[in-house]
Amino acid sequence: MSENQEKPKKRTRREFIQDLGIVGIGTLIGGSAIFAGVNYDKRKKAAERVKVLTAENEVMEVEKSELAKSAKPALENLTYLQQQGREGMAGKRFVMIIDLSKCRNARKCMAACNEAHHLRPEQHHINVLKMQDSANTPAYYMPKPCQHCDNPPCTAVCPVDATFKRQDGIVLIDNERCIGCRFCIAACPYSARVFNWAEPIHSLEDEGKVYNVELNVPQKKGTISKCLFSADRVREGKLPYCVSACPNGVYYFGDENEDAVTNGTTKETVRFRKLLEDNGGYTLMPELGTHPRVYYLPPKGKEYPFQEKDKEEARERLHNS
Amino acid sequence: MYNRNFKIVALAVVSVFFLQTFAQNNWNVPADKKAKNSYIKFDAASAGQGEAIYNKNCASCHGNPGKGNVQKTLNPIPPDLSSIGTQSLTDGELFYILSSGRGLMPNFKSMLSDEERWKVISYIRSFNKGYVQTLSKFDPNKAKLIKVSTNYDRKTAQVKVDVKVNEKSGIVALKNAEIGLFVTRYFGKLQIQKNQLTNADGQTVFDFPKDIPGDKTGTVELVVKLNDENYGEIESSTKLQLGVPTDKPALTDKRAIWGTLAKAPFWIILLYLAGVFAFGAVLLYLIFALNKIRKSGSNKPQ
Repeated sequence: MSENQEKPKKRTRREFIQDLGIVGIGTLIGGSAIFAGVNYDKRKKAAERVKVLTAENEVMEVEKSELAKSAKPALENLTYLQQQGREGMAGKRFVMIIDLSKCRNARKCMAACNEAHHLRPEQHHINVLKMQDSANTPAYYMPKPCQHCDNPPCTAVCPVDATFKRQDGIVLIDNERCIGCRFCIAACPYSARVFNWAEPIHSLEDEGKVYNVELNVPQKKGTISKCLFSADRVREGKLPYCVSACPNGVYYFGDENEDAVTNGTTKETVRFRKLLEDNGGYTLMPELGTHPRVYYLPPKGKEYPFQEKDKEEARERLHNS
Repeated sequence: MYNRNFKIVALAVVSVFFLQTFAQNNWNVPADKKAKNSYIKFDAASAGQGEAIYNKNCASCHGNPGKGNVQKTLNPIPPDLSSIGTQSLTDGELFYILSSGRGLMPNFKSMLSDEERWKVISYIRSFNKGYVQTLSKFDPNKAKLIKVSTNYDRKTAQVKVDVKVNEKSGIVALKNAEIGLFVTRYFGKLQIQKNQLTNADGQTVFDFPKDIPGDKTGTVELVVKLNDENYGEIESSTKLQLGVPTDKPALTDKRAIWGTLAKAPFWIILLYLAGVFAFGAVLLYLIFALNKIRKSGSNKPQ
């Protein structure tokens, strides 16, 4: 068998150089053809003119090649908002002080909050509770937002990293990541979270809006929503919705690093630690080690009566506790 | 007929007098503040602007003037501002009440500017048909002539404010001007000490606390608010290095169990990885063992 087989023909150097030459010239011709094609295409595109609408609502005609995208597409915007929302504001540590001696259940904070975050009337980021601590102590009104804990149990249990703490202390929820498992509701000792069981109240008008993680709008059915310390307002240097809506001077909001809090009603700024020290400030359920960023001043020297109609609810709360 | 008219007039006079004294007793407005007049003309334009401010800040308690929808659950019940009790007060008294507040009535000093407060009063006055305004001679353009300089003395920890006026007659010191010293914070201005009056040299000195946090380098923005009868309200700010340098780490810097995956504690990451590896190792071992059994079965001599 092996005798019939021809010996493999060995290529001479001459043949090799010949082949190389063919390949080389071929590449050159092909390359220049492609180059010419691309150039031709470019020129062709340059001739195309398109109509654009300017910000001043004027229709202009420009060459297509000169167009550059300036507005970000929705998805890019979302990613940007999510990233910005996740990072928070450097150098800040936001705190809230709630003066219980001034609250008279006006519920303006709740109304402003529900409107800003497109919540149903029964959903509360902030809720004014009717409290009674023991049979002989007086009843009082207690607004209760998310406590924005420095050791938040809710973010620890989230399986998808949807709820998170930011460097400025605010705890947020990203509805784009939330899978609706509601572990965080179970973990939160302050019952600060709400779930969108039903279709959100403004879901039709909100359709197509880019989701802002700092505002929780648009709300999404089947996801969690919670108090955000109005992260979008705070970014602009404005006080949160609830704080500025209060007509009774209940809320102070500020930056712990600056040792200053500003009253939402009078807009007066006072020193944060001094206010707590002078009035015996405290946090809710300190024994849990959650380290809340919301502080309370006791309901001492109230200037309003606790409403008779609310007493039943306060008693009920006492009874159930 | 005459008798009846007289009775009505007498009743009106008595009630006005009574309400006026009642209101005065209530608020104790200093005489100089009582005589203060607005430099803004109370017309339809200023009343319209005042209405917007009123609806935002006042209506929740005082209701709409003349409508009687005041918040009756409050103690004391806030007055309807179109009432004779309120309208019998002078502009200066209204301005003082609005600026200082008391009890449930918040003060609007920090919330509304002088101009905005006068506009609210303009709105309130629009419900009084018989009201005739006395305009103040104050000229707001004169504020431009004022020059405020602020210096910090590190030794005594004092901030010295110096006010000069560039009048036609030359530069003179402004005395008896009310000066407030503030530090700019993220949401508002923090007042340092109470307002003070400048002395004959146009100077005043504030003790500056040593524990005011500044930025990374300790820089804080000082704001001097000047209020003078003749020159109006002036605000000037300077940046000085007199605060405590503050550079607190981000709250998410530490690894914590509530942190994101990137910030999870090492022991959790290690424990988790160890678990995954252990599980995988057991699986691999089982496969090998099963394979061994199969091999030993097929190698059996038939």
